[in-house]
Amino acid sequence: METIKSYLDNIFRNLPKSKEMERLKSEILYNMEERYNELKDNGKLENEAIGIVISEFGNIDELLDEMGISPSKNNENYPVVDNEEAMEFVSLKKKASYLIATGVGLILLGVSLLIFLSQMAERNLIFQSLPEDAKGTLPVIALFLLIVPAVALFIYSGTKLERFKFIEEGKFEISSDLRNILNSELPSITQKQSIHTIIGVSLCIFSVVVLLAIVSFEPFADFGVCVMLLMIAVAVSIFITSGSVPDSYKELLKIDDYKPKTQKQDKVIGAVAGIVWPIAVCIFLFCGFVFNLWHICWVVFPITGILFGGFTALYKAIKAD
Amino acid sequence: MISSDVIRGYNDTIILSLLIEGDSYGYEISRNIRSITNEQYIMKETTLYSAFTRLEKNGYIESYYGEETQGKRRTYYRITPEGIKYYREKCEEWELTKKVINKFVKEMVHYGNN
Repeated sequence: METIKSYLDNIFRNLPKSKEMERLKSEILYNMEERYNELKDNGKLENEAIGIVISEFGNIDELLDEMGISPSKNNENYPVVDNEEAMEFVSLKKKASYLIATGVGLILLGVSLLIFLSQMAERNLIFQSLPEDAKGTLPVIALFLLIVPAVALFIYSGTKLERFKFIEEGKFEISSDLRNILNSELPSITQKQSIHTIIGVSLCIFSVVVLLAIVSFEPFADFGVCVMLLMIAVAVSIFITSGSVPDSYKELLKIDDYKPKTQKQDKVIGAVAGIVWPIAVCIFLFCGFVFNLWHICWVVFPITGILFGGFTALYKAIKAD
Repeated sequence: MISSDVIRGYNDTIILSLLIEGDSYGYEISRNIRSITNEQYIMKETTLYSAFTRLEKNGYIESYYGEETQGKRRTYYRITPEGIKYYREKCEEWELTKKVINKFVKEMVHYGNN
């Protein structure tokens, strides 16, 4: 019986919504249900009965022609994601977000370690017996040792989601049944996310407080940045992991950032990100290796982050008009 | 099973003939068509409802909500005087069509026997 209902739901989903349509749909559903019961009473098996009922439905275009309705053209026979697949997608997105959060955490930890080791070396607390050049490069090596597994994690999480590429590209449909489930669960999930966001933001603010506090103790001033970065690493991990489930729900529902229109915007933003971030990395490495400014050149990342965030907000605001 | 192409022009006539017997609703009409023809003709849902839409638009039938039974409120159809008139015209047309087509069908049989 559910099969018949979802069959009709699928046919009517892309048709204009009106009272007339609702009435027609429920009328046809009654008929199909009664026909189904009649077939079952005559000793037909469930699958047989469903097959016959659906084969007797006919062609919706015939009816639409008569009613003077043209079906909306956005349905290019996209695959329908069922409940099981959707739940798998959500849990995979969650797992991937843990991998990405770990990766980002590792990179921030690496930068923190870089600053920490540089400071220690500068004070001659470590690497005393090494030549001056090695003192400069060893902390950088430490950073890269952490960047390697981080990048590996990014790539791995990407390949895990490869199977659901069609969902990421918005080329799918979901049943109204699944839509209802997702819609009913979304509020409690976003509520959880906002609690995590509050914790993350508090950590970020608190990290600045800690930075200022440590800086005021003159001998440890430079280590303040290390502590701040560690705290930010935790905060960013919280942001990434807590956003994964609500984001995957929104992706399935095609709402908020996942509306087909917004996705086009994201392509532009993505393209800009693809240029800006590698440039930032180049500046970072160039300043480090050429001018030996490792202790300060990391600021290029927060600066890029803020500028990029500003650009994104501005772009969205202009496009929204 | 009869090909729906052949019978298309007479779906409306079939439905009207059943409504002359009394007001009825979608499922009952399609079930009656099935039983009268010994399941040799099964009218598809979309064919049935496009016929209802067309007949109502032309003023040959009227629809109204029936009494609620088992939580279901069905749409009933009633034939109008124009509908009865149209039905008679279609019956005459069919008699003529039958005569005309039969001439050719018989000639074919005759030809085939030679």
